[in-house]
Amino acid sequence: MSIDQPPASPPPAGPPGGPQVGADEWVARQSHRQEQLPAWLRPAQQLAGRVGWWPRLAIAALVAAALPALGLGGFQLQVGINALLLAMLALGLNVTVGWAGLLDLGYVAFFGFGAYGFALLSSGQLGSAGIHLPAYLSLPVVMVGAAILGLLVGLPSRRLIGDYLAIVTLFFGEAFLEFTTNVAPGTLGGANGIVGIDPIQAFGFQLTSNTGYFYLLLILLVATMAALRLLDSSRTGRAWRAVREDPLAAASMTIPVSRVKLMAFAFGAVIAALAGTVFAAQQISVFPPDFNTAYLILIYAGLILGGAGSITGAVLGGLVVVITLDGFLRSPTEAGYIFYGLIVVALLVKLRPWRKLGGVVAATVALGFAAHAITGAISASAVAGGPQSSGWIASAVRDWVIVPASPKAAGNIGFVVLVCLLIALVQARGWWRTALLPPAIYLAACVWEARLVAEPSITRQILIGVVLIVMMNSRPQGLLGSRRVEVIT
Amino acid sequence: MKGRVIMAAAALAALALAGCGSSGGGSSSSGPAKSCVATIGFEGPITGPVAVLGTEQLHFAQLAVSMDNTANKTKITIAQGDTQLQPSQATTVTQQFTSNSKILAVVGPAGSQEVEAIGPLMARAGMGFISGSATAAELTTGKYPTFLRVVSNDNVQGPQDANYIVNQLHPKSLMIVDDQEAYSTGLVAAMTPVLKAAGVKVDHESVPQNQNDFSSLVSKVSASTSVVVLPWQVAANAQQFGRDLAQQHKKAVIFGTDGLFSPGTFTINGSYVSSFGPDITALPADAALAQAAKAKFGSFGTFGPPVFAATHVIDEAIASVCKAGQTPSRSNVLAAIRKTSEPTSILGQPIKFGSHGDLINGKFFLFKINSKGAYKLVPSS
Amino acid sequence: MDFFVQELVNGVTTGALYALVALGFSMVYGVLKLLNFAHGDLYMIGAFTGYFVIQWFGGPSALTIPVPLLLVIMLVLAAGLAGGLGVAIERFAYRPLRNAPRIAPLITAIGISFFLENSALLLFGGQTRVYNTPDFISLSSGLSIGPVTISTVQIMVLVLGAALMISLQLLVNRTRLGRRMRAVAADREAAEMLGINVNMTIAVTFFLGSALAGVAGVMAGLMFNQVTNLIGFIVGLKAFTAAVVGGIGSIPGAMLGGLLIGMAESFITGYVSSTYTNLIVFGILIAVMLLRPSGLLGRAQLQKV
Repeated sequence: MSIDQPPASPPPAGPPGGPQVGADEWVARQSHRQEQLPAWLRPAQQLAGRVGWWPRLAIAALVAAALPALGLGGFQLQVGINALLLAMLALGLNVTVGWAGLLDLGYVAFFGFGAYGFALLSSGQLGSAGIHLPAYLSLPVVMVGAAILGLLVGLPSRRLIGDYLAIVTLFFGEAFLEFTTNVAPGTLGGANGIVGIDPIQAFGFQLTSNTGYFYLLLILLVATMAALRLLDSSRTGRAWRAVREDPLAAASMTIPVSRVKLMAFAFGAVIAALAGTVFAAQQISVFPPDFNTAYLILIYAGLILGGAGSITGAVLGGLVVVITLDGFLRSPTEAGYIFYGLIVVALLVKLRPWRKLGGVVAATVALGFAAHAITGAISASAVAGGPQSSGWIASAVRDWVIVPASPKAAGNIGFVVLVCLLIALVQARGWWRTALLPPAIYLAACVWEARLVAEPSITRQILIGVVLIVMMNSRPQGLLGSRRVEVIT
Repeated sequence: MKGRVIMAAAALAALALAGCGSSGGGSSSSGPAKSCVATIGFEGPITGPVAVLGTEQLHFAQLAVSMDNTANKTKITIAQGDTQLQPSQATTVTQQFTSNSKILAVVGPAGSQEVEAIGPLMARAGMGFISGSATAAELTTGKYPTFLRVVSNDNVQGPQDANYIVNQLHPKSLMIVDDQEAYSTGLVAAMTPVLKAAGVKVDHESVPQNQNDFSSLVSKVSASTSVVVLPWQVAANAQQFGRDLAQQHKKAVIFGTDGLFSPGTFTINGSYVSSFGPDITALPADAALAQAAKAKFGSFGTFGPPVFAATHVIDEAIASVCKAGQTPSRSNVLAAIRKTSEPTSILGQPIKFGSHGDLINGKFFLFKINSKGAYKLVPSS
Repeated sequence: MDFFVQELVNGVTTGALYALVALGFSMVYGVLKLLNFAHGDLYMIGAFTGYFVIQWFGGPSALTIPVPLLLVIMLVLAAGLAGGLGVAIERFAYRPLRNAPRIAPLITAIGISFFLENSALLLFGGQTRVYNTPDFISLSSGLSIGPVTISTVQIMVLVLGAALMISLQLLVNRTRLGRRMRAVAADREAAEMLGINVNMTIAVTFFLGSALAGVAGVMAGLMFNQVTNLIGFIVGLKAFTAAVVGGIGSIPGAMLGGLLIGMAESFITGYVSSTYTNLIVFGILIAVMLLRPSGLLGRAQLQKV
């Protein structure tokens, strides 16, 4: 048998190439990745450091509460509701995944269970059976039901670990969708869902406006955050983390591992179901596709972006994901600002020293004008398209990007080349990487103007995928998560 | 910690940038008042599991706007709203559209569930919305006052088709297969009582729209089953079903509803297809349009033309408001839409709306596919 | 009885397809312990490749080359493209995360799947692309034994599927490459210490697994005629079920699982109702996971400390 040469280990300062032997190197590399905070941000950091978690929560809640009063429009309010919902769901997922380390890929089914539970109990759907409860009665029933369901779905976690649990829960989620779509269409409504759900009412109030639901969700979110904060520092919270890090060690320290895992499932389920009831009441209707895998991915995106394991992270991640996706990326103009803004910010943050940054920017600009001039001289129709976005950015890049008269085919080719170029960029080291940067940025701008901006809906979906990939590869712990090291056996 | 802060700052900066940008962009682009400027919102599943349907609808809406702009000298633009056929996303998109004062009317949404979810929002905004594919009967009972559609509802098509099957095809037993979407289950619900009342034995099956392996279902078509009813929306699925029938030597005839009307894609010899209009690719009046659509977007099925018609109705309404010297607004555009009376349309029949938004005198045509795959009109009673 | 045999034939052919996809899935899981959610999308890429090959050579009804040659070109190109893409994905997205917490590669895989599906939508559009196989492989050219029929394409799928599975089994058990793959699967670090080029072995595994998915995509295109950007999702899910039921990481297990799931679907549709097919199949999976987490042929996983 021939002996293969072990691969040469990559230079330590480079981006993560994966340790070759042992996991400790990964730990070491992680601390390498930490950036130095620039001087201009340090006072802000010190100031922020002096304010504790609770005051910060209070301030954030007050600011959020003031938003509708400051005149959020109908759309902003809807985005706010969506964002609060996702934040709430990410928070619940954080208990199961972030704290207890149980990979639950059927989490969205609990959300659906809450919504369907409320829809069945508090609408005319079961009227023939004489069941039409007021919201203050059906809410607790749904919560208890969700807790029991969470326990049931969590049961396999006593035996299954890691991926196996992920598989079972994934199929639980799929089975939930199949169930609501196909079983008992007379009761569950099948594809037509359940419509005409009661508004949430309590203490004589009846929530009928979106403003009302915004405040209800805000209150619920803050209350959940507070409760989880307390729980986090309690015995249970510590037990969850112990089980996450090492179930065997936790068991030998007399932590009842199975029970602790089940509790995590039940907690996550109850929070998701709570969000589900509010969702059902606010939308006045529920339908199976509202609880599909795409939404699950969105919840995960929020949690991952914010950082699994952190309450603030989960909430911020959920908010950022929805505000970006629903608030900005639906409109091509605003998507353009996000796109160019992210490039600029990424360059500012990642590229050091300033000389290099300046060089790359100058090279990109020069490359663009040169390429545009040369292409235009060769064939006028190759630059006849002009940028497809609107606003000042379009006029700024008009003589810079190359957009052919029929941009679709060229844009498609450009997209494929761009993906290849980006892969090459990630693989390249040192000067090669710097040298590849200007063409990559320029090509990205061209593809954006030629193709992506004309298909904002598809671009939006592509960006979700890109964010997940980039986030996981550059910063697996998320924006605010704590670094975790799992010892692979 | 430092890393976190800088990342958070970066994210915030990007968002802030977008925020500033959006407010700046909004104020700068107020066009001249005289030329007829307006925006139409489009709602449909542009991505997600039924992107097939949504992209075709979007393309035809874009085509209609560009053709009508040239003809009427208007400056109408389309704002895309991707719903993925999810009512919750439709709600968000609708809020976006109703908050944007430039958007005067909406084409779509595609699904009846979505109409249920957004109907009240649209009514509150006083904005008209015309769907080209939401056919549930209960949508036009008056509960959504600004809703209109250019296709007839399930209660027209379902019983008519069922009666034809009973009276002309005389099956002893038949199989009806829904595709687990609202369109399909709605039609099944409308047809089944008629079939059962006539004493036909009905085997009700159900296959998700994204599944295209029908071999085991086809094996289940018994020798006495002479008709298979497919109220589906994906013509390629029905084509595959027909091939499986042929391959397994089954004699049953496929009866498709308007979602399957798709010459060139669904071509199984001897099948019946009902449709809200004649074959537009065969109509001389629509030949240019069909050709433009084919050249621009490739082959198309049955979802595009109604959306074209719906968009055209809105385009004409806006143009008529402008012609009357008014600035188009949601209310006057809606009023003009309601007054629509097109003697003919791309759908081959007149478009005129009833008080609850249903098409008046909407008819269904019935076609039989011959051995060359061509659609031949047959008398539908 | 005829009905039973017909459903058996249907189930076995569909099952063979699932098995091919499940094989790649299982191989990748074996060496990397990674649930590669993007695997179904490589199947989609394979199916699209086949479609464009048909179009390139004149379209289904006016082929400019003989059908067998066309099939070979389709299969080879699809295998190559899907395989290459698989290697690129591994190199670009999974390798940096090899020792990161388990959730990181999982989420990356979901991200890649999302990215591929929507990129395909951007590049190829939303409309259903149709192979129109009967235009060049006649529907009546299959076998008819009494009332039971098997189409040519079904026979092809069975033969090719069996051939690929057997050669893969031989490759893994009889060759040096296979020995390396098994070593990496058993203990990556120990394999590395023994001088095995782990990165290379993983890349080769990814190539083979993804190529199988690409081949399965072409065969599905020939059999079911339709290609959209989302066909990978449902097949990926089914193959995933197959791999898990058979015992994830086990190659014979993936084959067995694929056939079982295919037959289960077929018989549930035939004897119960198509309405509940998916629900029951998912139920079977959950039951298997609960009763025998390592699957039917998988080895029980020992927890190392």
